Amino acid sequence: MIAALPTITPNQITFLALAGLAAMMAVGVVALNNPVRSAMCLVVNFFVLAFIYFTLNAQLLGITQILVYTGAIMVLFLFVIMLLNLSGKQIFPEKLDAKPVIGIAVGLGLFGLIASQVLLPMQKITKINAEYAYGSPQAIGKTLFTNYVWPFEVTSMLLLVGIVGSILLAKRKI
Amino acid sequence: MEVGTLIWLVLFLPVLGFLVQAFFGGRVVRSQGVAGKKLMGTLAVLPIAISFVLGCIITAQLAQQPADARFSIHTLFSWIDILSLSIPFEVRVDPLSMTMVLIITGIGSLIHVYATGYMAEEKDYSRFFTYLNLFIAFMLILVLGNNLLLLFIGWEGVGLCSYLLIGFWYKDLANSRAANKAFIVNRIGDWGLTLGMFIIVALIASNIGKLGLDNVRFLSYDVILSAPVIEIFKANPGWTTAAALLLFVGAMGKSAQFPLYLWLPDAMAGPTPVSALIHAATMVTAGVVLLNRMNILFQLSPVASAVVCGVGAFTALFAALIAFGQTDIKKVLAYSTVSQLGFMFIACGAGAYWAGMFHVTTHAFFKALLFLGSGAVIHAMAHDQDMRNYGNLRKYLKITSATMIIGWLAIAGVSVWTFFGFAGFYSKEAILGAAFANEFASIGGINIGFYSACVGMFVALLTSFYMSRMTFMTFFGQEERWRLIPAGAHHDAQGHDDHSHDHGHTHAHHEAHDHGPDTHGFFYTDEELAAQHVGHDHDDHHHALDAEHEPHEVPPSMWVPLVVLAALSVAGGFLLYTNHMFEHWLYPGGQLAILGEIKAYPEWKTLLVALSTGAALGGIVLGWFFYGKKLPEREGWDLRRWSPFRRAAGQQFGYDKAMVDMSVEGGNQLATFSWKFLDSKGIDAIVNGVAGLAGQIGKLFGWAQTGFVRGYALLMLLGGVGLIGYLALVLFQSNGGPK
Amino acid sequence: MQDVPLFWYLALGLFMFTTGAVGVVVRRNPVVVFMCIELMLNAVNLTFLAFARYSPTLLPGMAESPQTWMTGQMMVIFVMAVAAAEVAVGLGIIMAIFRLRNQVDVDDMSALRG
Repeated sequence: MIAALPTITPNQITFLALAGLAAMMAVGVVALNNPVRSAMCLVVNFFVLAFIYFTLNAQLLGITQILVYTGAIMVLFLFVIMLLNLSGKQIFPEKLDAKPVIGIAVGLGLFGLIASQVLLPMQKITKINAEYAYGSPQAIGKTLFTNYVWPFEVTSMLLLVGIVGSILLAKRKI
Repeated sequence: MEVGTLIWLVLFLPVLGFLVQAFFGGRVVRSQGVAGKKLMGTLAVLPIAISFVLGCIITAQLAQQPADARFSIHTLFSWIDILSLSIPFEVRVDPLSMTMVLIITGIGSLIHVYATGYMAEEKDYSRFFTYLNLFIAFMLILVLGNNLLLLFIGWEGVGLCSYLLIGFWYKDLANSRAANKAFIVNRIGDWGLTLGMFIIVALIASNIGKLGLDNVRFLSYDVILSAPVIEIFKANPGWTTAAALLLFVGAMGKSAQFPLYLWLPDAMAGPTPVSALIHAATMVTAGVVLLNRMNILFQLSPVASAVVCGVGAFTALFAALIAFGQTDIKKVLAYSTVSQLGFMFIACGAGAYWAGMFHVTTHAFFKALLFLGSGAVIHAMAHDQDMRNYGNLRKYLKITSATMIIGWLAIAGVSVWTFFGFAGFYSKEAILGAAFANEFASIGGINIGFYSACVGMFVALLTSFYMSRMTFMTFFGQEERWRLIPAGAHHDAQGHDDHSHDHGHTHAHHEAHDHGPDTHGFFYTDEELAAQHVGHDHDDHHHALDAEHEPHEVPPSMWVPLVVLAALSVAGGFLLYTNHMFEHWLYPGGQLAILGEIKAYPEWKTLLVALSTGAALGGIVLGWFFYGKKLPEREGWDLRRWSPFRRAAGQQFGYDKAMVDMSVEGGNQLATFSWKFLDSKGIDAIVNGVAGLAGQIGKLFGWAQTGFVRGYALLMLLGGVGLIGYLALVLFQSNGGPK
Repeated sequence: MQDVPLFWYLALGLFMFTTGAVGVVVRRNPVVVFMCIELMLNAVNLTFLAFARYSPTLLPGMAESPQTWMTGQMMVIFVMAVAAAEVAVGLGIIMAIFRLRNQVDVDDMSALRG
């Protein structure tokens, strides 16, 4: 069906390149045995994802994606891997049992199901309904601090609890 | 000023005094020493005294009103206000409440003055006045409140203050136990009071349709005692009797009637001003006030009234008999209080409610006098309370003995025929006369009121007799027995007064606040006193009672109240009784709402007066005969020589011990039974069984929990896929199958 | 980018999600399992954003309004916040387990076995 499209535009080429890279990196996260390499793949994946957000005109969220995921969360992952020294003796060779097979089979089943039921009916949709500046900081800030102010406050509480919890877990003796 | 303003001042001045004492008293006394005590003592007396003056003004205004307009209700704020019940914080100004206000604040301020002298050596000086002012505040709420719930607040509040003050010297275990006993026994009474209130509310609420009431203040007196509600009471005689009896149970607890009297003798562990104020003049009369307030309920229920009469008569007799076996001067007065309260209930049962209140008033005069006098004697005798160690004290304590003799004549009911009598004579006459004359309090045709009056007449003789015993043993005779205490007698005295001390929880032994070796730190040491320049008249109290002891007259702050009370005990009864003044003040025209006129005397009034005068004088003669010269051999320090009757009386005929054993041991056994059988074999079995069942069910399904996290993840994924697949299937079918 | 259909974004999101799900099932290293979860979260974020941008009015009665395309972005923000908290606590737990047992094989953590 994709092949059935008459022409291919530069925009489509950009998207396909980004999407292909992201997909490859996603596979890399799962397939590579060394956790450090998995992590590096994930970094690239998140970084590319940020650019895909940009192609969706969601500038603020793209930048947040780089800052939060690529910048903060992935650094945390790498720190933990370093601290646990997982790259050396802690590389677990995957056992050859039924689980990976079943997992991959179920994964494929999931993919097939959702693709057939959700994606196929949406093939034709190309019309963009959102305003041009729907992802600008002004628009997001306005919505976040009016309609979503309570969830926002609750989220701040959650982060606070997260801080306390991680300190509690990290300390040897309280 | 308006009555509505004055009455709140009367109520809140003691509260203000309480707050001042509570927040500043301790600091001031600690930092300023004797001067601080003088200041705080003045600040404790002033609010009560001002309240008394204001109370007099209100009463004077009230007396100018026509008899049927003598009440007003003042609401401060809406306290409990829900859909079907409204209880405002309101006070009622009427003759009954104002009478009690005058007694409370009047006697209260005298006793406060007395206490500034009595407690002068106390370290926790302001704590005492904190409690005392708080007590006055709660007592005022009790009598002034216009609904049963405010009465209940006051009821519990005075119970709390009583508890705090009985256990004032709390470091002595016996005092704490006495306080606990008072508190716990009173809870039984409160149980009755609350149930009675519930019945009244339920009765009114279930008949609300017939009433056409425009408000839902179900517990306010003006609603409970209004004509339509009385019709409801008349229509439900069973419930009315139940409510009346339950209210009386409350009165029994607070007013120390048999079988709940046991706490009052032990309450003597508190300081003597407390015994005078709370446990003689005011708090214990709350039951009589309640019966007066709710008198319509009792007028409607002859059965309940008969029970009130019977209980009162039995209590009067029982307590009077016990008083013969007591050697502790305060215990004698305590049992006398119980006995006199019995008289008040005879009056209330017989329908002469005003006579009950009259006796409350006169009793407040002479019993407060006697207690304060005994406090003065104890003060002078190095805090020894054993009458066997007194004798011939009139030589040393001239004012105290003169005033106490007046108190004794007043309680004995001495009179010069009917021309003039001491205070007790008139109230006792009124009670006995009404009880003899009326046939209202009867069950099944038996006129309980009449028999109660017969018992009461006998008790009048006994009262005169044991009070003479106390007076002669203390003030008369040639022996100065504290110089004659035989070696080892001290031990005997202990053995006597702690007659239940093998159980250790019944009696505050009478040397609870012996100043000698004060190990508890409630009093100043000699060095501290010297540092504070306390006058010489206090020094002797720090010596134990020995042969060289010289009693001294008490300071003016203590004897002035005695003199005032003595004057009231002489003239109070005569003034209030003349021209039915007191009766018509409380019950205009002497008419009761249901019963109409209550006869004051039977046809044989002359005989009654003769009998009663004979009882009073006979008791005094008997007392003189037995105790006038010296302590009888058979009542000396050696308990083995006492007669069996007197020994039994000394131990309350075993009643106290039996009750305490029953409740403590019985409670213990009940708790053990409940623990071993009900709890561990019944409830625990059910709980453990349910838990075990859940465990077994868990084990059944436990095999599914492999502990492999990835297995769980896989199952979750499978579930998700299955769910989406199912949804897809349903969607597919609802779209009409394959297209 | 009028010419890229919604379908493509959704396909990428679905692929990343499935890959992450498979990774959670097949990998033994808890840190990698965690990364896979992050991957899944990001796949969902992408889907949210794509739907927000295109706002396909598939459901009857769903009006076009700013609410329609802001909601998706809001969800992304909250998902990010929750993910950040989750990572902080989750990695803390992994560290604690490592300190306790000196190794972190998911298959060895089976204290919940029934």
